[in-house]
Amino acid sequence: MSTQLLIAALVAGSVYALIALGLNLIYGTMRLLNVAHGEVVMIGAYVAYWGISLLAVSPLVSALAAIPLAAALGALIYVGVFRKAMQSGEFLERIEGNSLLVFFGISVILQNVTSLLFTPNQRGYRYQDEIVQFIGAVVPVNKLIVLAISGAVCVGAVLFFRLSTLGLAIKAVIQQREAAALVGIPLERIELTSLCLGFAVAGLAGVLVSMTEEISPFMGFPLTVTAFVVVILGGLGNVLGSLIGGLLLGVLETFGVALTAPSYRSIMIYAVFIAVLLLRPQGLLGAARART
Amino acid sequence: MTGRVARVAGFVTAAAFLAIALPSAANDYFVGVGFTLLVWIALTESWIVISGMTGYISLGHVVFVGIGAYVAATTWSMLPIWAILPLAGLAAAVLATLVGYPCLRVRGPYFVILTFGLSELVKYIVINIESALTVSGRVLFGAPAVGTLYLIALGLGWASVMIALAVRESRFGAGLRAIRDNEEAAETIGIATGRFKAAAFVLSSIIPGMTGALMIMRSTYFTPLEIFNPQTSVLIVTMAVIGGSDRPLGPLLGVAFLVLLQEALWSNLPQLYMIVVGALLVAVVVWLPGGIYGRLQHLIAAAPR
Repeated sequence: MSTQLLIAALVAGSVYALIALGLNLIYGTMRLLNVAHGEVVMIGAYVAYWGISLLAVSPLVSALAAIPLAAALGALIYVGVFRKAMQSGEFLERIEGNSLLVFFGISVILQNVTSLLFTPNQRGYRYQDEIVQFIGAVVPVNKLIVLAISGAVCVGAVLFFRLSTLGLAIKAVIQQREAAALVGIPLERIELTSLCLGFAVAGLAGVLVSMTEEISPFMGFPLTVTAFVVVILGGLGNVLGSLIGGLLLGVLETFGVALTAPSYRSIMIYAVFIAVLLLRPQGLLGAARART
Repeated sequence: MTGRVARVAGFVTAAAFLAIALPSAANDYFVGVGFTLLVWIALTESWIVISGMTGYISLGHVVFVGIGAYVAATTWSMLPIWAILPLAGLAAAVLATLVGYPCLRVRGPYFVILTFGLSELVKYIVINIESALTVSGRVLFGAPAVGTLYLIALGLGWASVMIALAVRESRFGAGLRAIRDNEEAAETIGIATGRFKAAAFVLSSIIPGMTGALMIMRSTYFTPLEIFNPQTSVLIVTMAVIGGSDRPLGPLLGVAFLVLLQEALWSNLPQLYMIVVGALLVAVVVWLPGGIYGRLQHLIAAAPR
């Protein structure tokens, strides 16, 4: 196994894990299927792009703007759409399907607003792209930065859900919603927090993606699909699972493309996606998530 | 109930007969708008046979459009139109048969994202086949005039409404609705849920396949990226949902509304059109479950007499 490919796999995998983390958090706490997740990533990417091209600000500084912006979008969507909708029984009865349609509408809106404002063209910028030797592999510096940050956030997330009170409260809501409410965990606040956290991480992921790849208003959907593959691999609602799933997909994709051809990349991702959905149709939610 | 449906069917058929006159009465622009309207009616009414009836929402119906169009594009110089159209429908039906049974075991939101993934997978496979054949887009020479295509679209649109009405009134349709309301219970009382769902899926794929063939005869150009565009699937779902996907007449309202909006906005502001589509989807799902048609019925039922 070449270190070159392994590092490429780790870089891709850690970003996938990061994107999937937020998606899973939102599903876990509210059972909302956020198919607009990739668009949040796209927004983060645009913040970084405009930061460096208009203000000559490093993407790492732009991240400080992208994260709160993404979180604010999450809060806006929660307050504007879901807080009220989630009180209606009719909506809750088919919450997964309904939320999927709603987020689909939101993603179409975000894509087209961005395309209207900034043209549908692909854009890119150069940032730290000199190549260095790193444990026997030749890698551009920006990929190492991406790996370091996303790796740190993933480790931080694991610690957050293990150690902090808020993290434990969120996990409690994911595992036993009614019981969590009974012991005094404020559901509505946890939901809002989870949505904002999930969006914030997606915004950060967008900044990272833009460092190494071209961006466009329609870059989000493939990312959403990838994130779903990861989440389904790792188990919906299982936060640690999505980290493992992300790395797994990164390895699968990088080595798969290396063994075949880049034009097979999309076929491969969708094939894995479909295979996982077909082979574990009922068991995807993890062991036992009662249907309520 | 059956009398009412017979009236609706008669009304739709009469309207279709009147619509035959459009090509001789109006200029090509209006015939073109009529064609677009009928194409979307055919797609949306076919979609509700599986998704409106069973609640298994297909977000990948463009795959049937694409496969039909692909068959038409590859056989264009070899076969006459009257052979191409059924062949396109057949190809879609074969695809639906192959994928229907395994896919329909997957429920709820997983089915939705699965159908989306499936249509993207087929798209990328076709793209790779075409690039392996070193074909970049196929041009269809000598396609029929818009008036002829309009009449075929009228036939497909009419047939799709009739099928939707017939399915809704049949025992088959009752079985499908039972699956939507409670699949376990439906199975317990002896409905062969697997076969019912698969049959509805295949039935809902044939007309989209033929419509796909018709669509590239109109544009006279085939590229996989364009014809397999997931936006088509989104528009089908949106038209059905905002109209009210539960009743065959609901989607007609949604289609008419969005096609007219498209005519007004598409050429100048395609992004604005999609923004409105997205906003409508959000608004209807959150505030108007049942769609426009369901709302109207509700209002009529509640009105004091």
